Amino acid sequence: MHPSGVLFWKEKSMLLISDVHLGKISHFRKFGAAVPQAAIQKNFELMDVAVNFFQPEVLVFMGDLFHSSLNKEWQLFEAWASTITSDIILVAGNHDIISPLKYEKLGIRVVSEIQLDGFLLTHHPEEREGFFNFSGHIHPAVRLQGMGRQSLRLSCFFKSENQLILPAFGTFTGTYTLEPKANNEVFAVTQEEVFQVQMKETKRRRRY
Amino acid sequence: MNREELYDIALNWFQQQNWKPFKFQKDTWKAFLQGKNGLLNAPTGSGKTYALWFPIVLNYIKQNPQYKTKHKKGLKAIWITPLRALSQEIRQSAERVTADLETQMTVGIRTGDTTTKERAGQKKQMPDLLITTPESLQLLLATKGYDKIFKDCSAIVVDEWHELLGTKRGVQMELALSRLKTVSKELRIWGISATIGNLEQARDVLLGPETQALQDSVMIRANIKKKITVKSIIPKKMETFPWRGHLGLHLLEDVVPIINNSKTTLLFTNTRSQCEIWFQKILEKHPEFAGDMAMHHGSINKDTRNWVENAIRNEELKAVVCTSSLDLGVDFAPVETVVQIGGPKGVARFLQRAGRSGHRPGEESVIHFLPTHAIELIEASALQKAVKQNAVEDRMPYLNCYDVLLQYLTTLAISDGFYPNEIYKEISQTFCYQTLTRDQWQWLLNFLVMGSQSLQTYDEYKKVEVEEDGKFKVTNRGVAMRHRFQIGTIVGDVNLTVRYQKGGYIGSIEEFFVSKLNRGDVFTFAGRNLEFIRIKDMQVHVRNSNKKTNKISSWSGSRMTLSAQMSKLLREELYSSSEDKKYQSVEIRSLAHIFERQRRESIVPYPNEFLIETFKTREGYHHIFYPFEGRFVHEAMGSLLGYRISLLSPITFSLAFNDYGFELLSDQEIDMQQVIDNDLFTAEYLLDDLQKSLNATEMARRKFRDIAIISGMVFTGYPNKGIKMKHLQSNSQLLFEVFRDYEPENLLFQQAFTETFQHQLEEGRLRLSLERIAQQEIVWKPCKKATPFAFPLITDRLSREKLSSEKLADRIKRMSALLMKK
Repeated sequence: MHPSGVLFWKEKSMLLISDVHLGKISHFRKFGAAVPQAAIQKNFELMDVAVNFFQPEVLVFMGDLFHSSLNKEWQLFEAWASTITSDIILVAGNHDIISPLKYEKLGIRVVSEIQLDGFLLTHHPEEREGFFNFSGHIHPAVRLQGMGRQSLRLSCFFKSENQLILPAFGTFTGTYTLEPKANNEVFAVTQEEVFQVQMKETKRRRRY
Repeated sequence: MNREELYDIALNWFQQQNWKPFKFQKDTWKAFLQGKNGLLNAPTGSGKTYALWFPIVLNYIKQNPQYKTKHKKGLKAIWITPLRALSQEIRQSAERVTADLETQMTVGIRTGDTTTKERAGQKKQMPDLLITTPESLQLLLATKGYDKIFKDCSAIVVDEWHELLGTKRGVQMELALSRLKTVSKELRIWGISATIGNLEQARDVLLGPETQALQDSVMIRANIKKKITVKSIIPKKMETFPWRGHLGLHLLEDVVPIINNSKTTLLFTNTRSQCEIWFQKILEKHPEFAGDMAMHHGSINKDTRNWVENAIRNEELKAVVCTSSLDLGVDFAPVETVVQIGGPKGVARFLQRAGRSGHRPGEESVIHFLPTHAIELIEASALQKAVKQNAVEDRMPYLNCYDVLLQYLTTLAISDGFYPNEIYKEISQTFCYQTLTRDQWQWLLNFLVMGSQSLQTYDEYKKVEVEEDGKFKVTNRGVAMRHRFQIGTIVGDVNLTVRYQKGGYIGSIEEFFVSKLNRGDVFTFAGRNLEFIRIKDMQVHVRNSNKKTNKISSWSGSRMTLSAQMSKLLREELYSSSEDKKYQSVEIRSLAHIFERQRRESIVPYPNEFLIETFKTREGYHHIFYPFEGRFVHEAMGSLLGYRISLLSPITFSLAFNDYGFELLSDQEIDMQQVIDNDLFTAEYLLDDLQKSLNATEMARRKFRDIAIISGMVFTGYPNKGIKMKHLQSNSQLLFEVFRDYEPENLLFQQAFTETFQHQLEEGRLRLSLERIAQQEIVWKPCKKATPFAFPLITDRLSREKLSSEKLADRIKRMSALLMKK
């Protein structure tokens, strides 16, 4: 696990990135909402950082790579993809509506899931007999509480018995707060580090 | 026809009704017929509608001497009302005048409630007199060929101008007026306002400072004196009266005799949920009122509201529980008594509500004040004084609202398009944009066309386009349609309509409340117990239920603050607790045992003292400060002080505020002696520190949410079609962060901060109170437990702010996620 919200599988030299939502900013701008353009570049910079750090042989996008239909951010992605030496695989998600042929031209394989050594890589979280599931889609976050009525909400890796949900990678994406149960482990992501979150039992129902 | 003959027509009419026109009415007729603009200062129910409808009609008669037989079509006058609910009433008085004088003039209403069919009819042929809201007027500006509609308009009357003045709807009005001044050559602009502190400024804002329109204007004051009596309801058993709370149900039984002893009673609550609860509880305890009692608030469907209003007029109701929805307009003669539940937080509002009773000229208005917790009795005492001194507040107008201007420019661009030079000249004459520079103007234009300040490759931004001759125009129909749905500056939570499964509209409710409901849950809304079935297409489906429930629909709404005048009176009342009983009001005397307890555990500050209390509970270390300056100032002072303390050493706070003081809660203890020694209350570097403290808290973010919606950056969705537009909806929080990181120089982003300073934090007042504190002696009392003063503060679980100077990593180590047991 890396603070940028990616997961690296050492034995396979495989880097997992989930929910980048490229093209979302351009999509908004196309419809008249002036989201700053500078944020577009940031996604690519962050991907570069992660890729350069791990130097993976395989780069797997766990779905929702592109937010919407084709727009000009695709050209930026094309340029970026050509600089990457790793194999790239896209596990298609609900947002991925761009034709697989487009991806294949860039040498990117598009699949609906990957099964590998008892691990199952999907976009939507899934429970399947005999597999440990890696997935995205949820954009998980966790709420932390402390003394003095402090609270924090952080993007996180969310693990249950047979499943690990990855945080959303993209800069212009929201999060969904999950409430952990006893068999969950939660790893909060900050700029510098990934922390395992301490759990505290409570009888009190959460106040709204 | 000359002026005398015209007056005779009006005077005759008054004689037929056995009325006599007031001087202010005659003055207004005269000024209007002379072609003047003006501001009329008159309370509701004084006959202000006739003061202006008459000259409008007389003016028509003057220009069309054969008015009885020939009808000259086209829009003659616009009447703007801030509340749709008032439009029926205004229409009736207008129709009375036009019909009795045998003109053939037509009167029409155009608001959000108007049907599409009716609207289309109006588009073909406008009524002579149009009653509408600021938002609907903007929508008219968004129709093609609007200049022809307004060409022969002789007057625009802005009713209840004081309600609009300190809001962005007021800015919307300023902009619409600036356009109409050009489009309608004969236009007279009139405002009607209740008494506020800055009436002269209200006229400047309405007409535009240093304009010809202002020079040709008059200020007419009705000067109708009304006797107002304030009676506080004082709990018989003070010992068991709670220290905190906002519902006031403990005193329910004291209200019953008041209701019984008067013809009709209005019970004003501060929030819609409080209104629902009171209605429910009264009926529970006193089923005999069933049928004689009703409820009225802004989220109940229009027909029910109309029914309630009519029932009040026809004396069919004994009591109505209501919110500010009944503050304005509507003349209710049978109302004899008014009860205010909980602090009204402003003198003007309190007076307005008091004025709802004893509506006939010369009658006395009686208002009962029902405190919801002990400390509020101090407020009651201060209110008594304020009413005596008639100390009403100012309404502060907005300056440089870029968001509203962007919305307005888009509006013009989707109708006929606009030429920047022409519009710049118009808007720079308004109060709001008088200081708007050419550079800022250019920035806004760039923003509309390119979505940024420089053209970049790979960009598909699309909104407004520039045509060859320099006209700014929207050609994309999708953009235009989305914009029409967005017009309006009142920004609320996402609203869902509540319906029976079989059909039948009940009202609207905020999404945040619905999101907590599960299928089968029963909740109270509009006085009924409803079972939640499902949400579908932005509609909440429900069915009636007999089950009892304690889930009451609630709305987040805005919190109000004490005005500067009220805060001062409040402090004086508090200080009087140390004086001889002779000089104390009943309310203060009744609080004797609380003051005694406060003195035992801490002190009741004297005028020259500033109190700080500290104590520890299970929640952490509480540090409580008492400036008694009103909520907003405390919010600013709390963030400021929190920020300055956080510079001394890394620390994280949770901040709470009320009208009396503020709390800094932390898991570490603050070294209070260091705070005092370092003179952290200084007014030096105020702006700089405040700006930095804002970055650390959430206040500017919340302002930004409204700005993002108004300026069209966040799309809230089509009514009833919410889901389909999901791919364009984004979270304004997210947007705020993106701007902070990538485009902090964006004017809209900066506006969030300026607005927080000027309207939320009241920087000017903050400076004054810091100067006051500098003169005071700081008294720091370490206490064992919460004092009576501290209690309402530390139990405030809502609306807390956060501030931290610690590293995220250090904080996480001390925190934990709550585990849900299932």
